[in-house]
Amino acid sequence: MIKEKYINRVKKISINVTQTKIDSISHKDIEKTGLRIYKNGYIGYSGAIGRYEEEELEKRAKDSLNNKMPYQYNLGKNLRKKEDFSSEIIKEDNLVEELNELLGALRKEQPEFYFSNKFNLIEHEVRLLNDNGLDLYYKDKYIDFILIFKEKTSPNIMDGFVGLNGRKYSRKLALENINQICSAYRNKVMLPNKKVLPVVFSTDDMLPLEKFLEDLNGDRFGSKSSLLSNKRNKKIFNENFTLYQTNNPNDCIVPFFDAEGVINDNHRYPLIKEGIIVSPYTDKRISNKYNLPLTGCAAAEYDGMPNLGFPKLKIKESEKTAKELLGGEMGIFILVASGGDFTPEGNFATPVQLAFLFDGEKFIGRLPELSISSNVFHMFGDSFLGVSKDTMNPLSNNKFLIMNMEVSKI
Amino acid sequence: MFKFPDHLYTDVRIEDVYETEIVYSTGEIEESKIRNYKAAFIRVFDGEMWYYSSISNLESIQKEIDSLSSYASPNREIDNHPIVNKLQVTKEKLLKFEDNGMEKIEIKRKHDLLKEHFPLLEGSTFIKNWKAAYVDRKVNKEFYSSKGSEVIFDTQSTGIFISMQFGYEEKMFSENYQISYDNFDSLDGKLENFKSFIKQCEDFLLESQPVKPGKYTVILSPSSAGVFAHESFGHKSEADFMIGDEAMKKEWAIGKKVGSDILSIVDSGNISGSGYTPFDDEGIRAEKTYLIKNGILSGRLHSGATAASLEENLTGNARAVDFEFEPIVRMTTTYIEPGNKTKDELFSEVKEGIYVETIKHGSGMSTFTLAPSLAYYIKDGKIANAVNISVITGNVMETLKEIDGLSDKLEILSFVIGGCGKMEQAPLPVGFGGPYVRVNNLNVQ
Repeated sequence: MIKEKYINRVKKISINVTQTKIDSISHKDIEKTGLRIYKNGYIGYSGAIGRYEEEELEKRAKDSLNNKMPYQYNLGKNLRKKEDFSSEIIKEDNLVEELNELLGALRKEQPEFYFSNKFNLIEHEVRLLNDNGLDLYYKDKYIDFILIFKEKTSPNIMDGFVGLNGRKYSRKLALENINQICSAYRNKVMLPNKKVLPVVFSTDDMLPLEKFLEDLNGDRFGSKSSLLSNKRNKKIFNENFTLYQTNNPNDCIVPFFDAEGVINDNHRYPLIKEGIIVSPYTDKRISNKYNLPLTGCAAAEYDGMPNLGFPKLKIKESEKTAKELLGGEMGIFILVASGGDFTPEGNFATPVQLAFLFDGEKFIGRLPELSISSNVFHMFGDSFLGVSKDTMNPLSNNKFLIMNMEVSKI
Repeated sequence: MFKFPDHLYTDVRIEDVYETEIVYSTGEIEESKIRNYKAAFIRVFDGEMWYYSSISNLESIQKEIDSLSSYASPNREIDNHPIVNKLQVTKEKLLKFEDNGMEKIEIKRKHDLLKEHFPLLEGSTFIKNWKAAYVDRKVNKEFYSSKGSEVIFDTQSTGIFISMQFGYEEKMFSENYQISYDNFDSLDGKLENFKSFIKQCEDFLLESQPVKPGKYTVILSPSSAGVFAHESFGHKSEADFMIGDEAMKKEWAIGKKVGSDILSIVDSGNISGSGYTPFDDEGIRAEKTYLIKNGILSGRLHSGATAASLEENLTGNARAVDFEFEPIVRMTTTYIEPGNKTKDELFSEVKEGIYVETIKHGSGMSTFTLAPSLAYYIKDGKIANAVNISVITGNVMETLKEIDGLSDKLEILSFVIGGCGKMEQAPLPVGFGGPYVRVNNLNVQ
């Protein structure tokens, strides 16, 4: 019998902003502990929120072995690794004061807009340890701050948003970013008169990658119910297109190990390499079931069985800036595109509620509401221009994903 | 029960949650668990700021009240503050599920019920992959406030969710089947419906063709109409978007004509199902609220703060997704009221159009979207060929005026998986529905 603990702790300070003023502050510190017991090829588990009695937790986990949940895979062992990405981004005692300063500046510099939503300062710890000598620990601390903006004269619920997410904060840089977006928003511009245009997404926007989340799911892929099932080891995308499943905390806010303790080289696994499909994303069960590579994509609730989760995806950057990728053309930067989707055969269409004309370095102005469309094999095939080497702004880790698509006014 | 600090408003919400989750993937067990926990959310208000805390140790509630109150500034006029003044004092116990609570049903029965569906899934040559889940959730809530509210009530849902991936040669298609009720016995005897649904999906897989993009008259099924009502208009009726915003108040003035004369949209927390919320998370009793009545903007959804700010009545719509979050304005069960045509009449009047039976998701800003799953052409008043559609879009305010027909029966849908998302709080259980709804001039891609 082997015991394994999976511990998640989230400390969060949330400050709610309504119409550019603070109206509430919330504190949360919640630890969730899962206890897994592996015995005779089965797994039992139990969980607790907050304080718990060790014996009672273990008894419940042992009792759940009666459910006969098979788990016959190798467990992580003899590895101790600790990665701590946390740092003091803002002194917690100064948080309200700092946000008040930022909001005060916004009220002064952007008097035509209201700003709302939440400022979250989050400290996250994840630990996985077992009787086999596995002890993995990840700690991070980051800001999750999406400010929704709307013009005071606008009849809409929201007109757009500005995201400030990551491990860095600077009031000056945050204001510069917000001011640039608000200035572009105020400047209405025409859509260039071309049917096909370079469309630009932030790399944290999962909309253009949703087909991969769906069809590179190992269970779908292995059961031949994915559009990509029969295309493994075939080159079907652009040779400059490499897609990683990433558990690399340098790419995004993510633990370097999955819920089964799998760690990849450089914390990344290539699912598509230079246009060739290498593997769908898998956990131990799916990898074993379909004889696919193990990519380390297990997720688990604190009191649940590790199962295939959703990966964080990263496209390999090019050696070019966004301006170079655009090659002198104006791009259509997608800030708000809600409601679009792919069809089973890979066709894609979405309305775009807010887009900016983008010269590769700055947002020029606000475009009318648009519709964009393409197909997954075009988007990441002939139409794929690349991911920029430059980030969207100094506070962000996000880059520009650029591809040609059909663009029209709604 | 608690010692509430003087000169501050304080409330405490305690949640006692029982949940079961069972999942099988192509016949193999993937999850089987019972989760049971108690936790609390505490709010303190001094007239200027709210101070919140969520805790998992109920013994610490008093300590947490005292801690939060130390951040706040005592306010001798707190009882006269418009928000505090607005909040009801309610003393009521409404336990609807004491006798048939999910915790009383042994887990084996839940497994067995789910397994009854497996032969149908395994019998299909076109289903390449499937996942079947049984989920139930019972929540006992207690709410106590410094104004004297003491509310105890329960909610419950149980259901089955099955996701299926169909495939034939190069054609692929995914669809979900879901049933949900507030009692276990109602889940029995639904296998024939499931069998028919699988057959419909298989036919769709084999026959569907890409749509010819264009503008069409679209008939929405009750579930699609419910999503449309929720996304296109329901969210705009949540009054927290309006506080202190003169442009919004003007744009969304009660009495304004916003839809066709036959259109009425309602939100009510009193309807059984996944949106059942007899009291909200401020201890306010649920009301039936007309958002639109006969095409006229008639009401909106409120928390105490928004009702006080807009000087309107409380509606019981301050809801939190769980103990980790504060209540914000949310929908409960939102639906379009039925009209006076039979379903057949509604279809017979369409020469060429689209019928949307199920959807994958929807959204609603100034432009709304629906991503159909099972959809069909309508030809000469009859449902015809199956069609693949990426997205249906339209301008919300124009589209509400393009509704020109409603069937005469209301269907309310309940859900055990998924729900509504707003800001960081998701998924919140909601219900929705309507009759069959006919809308002209929608963009179909």
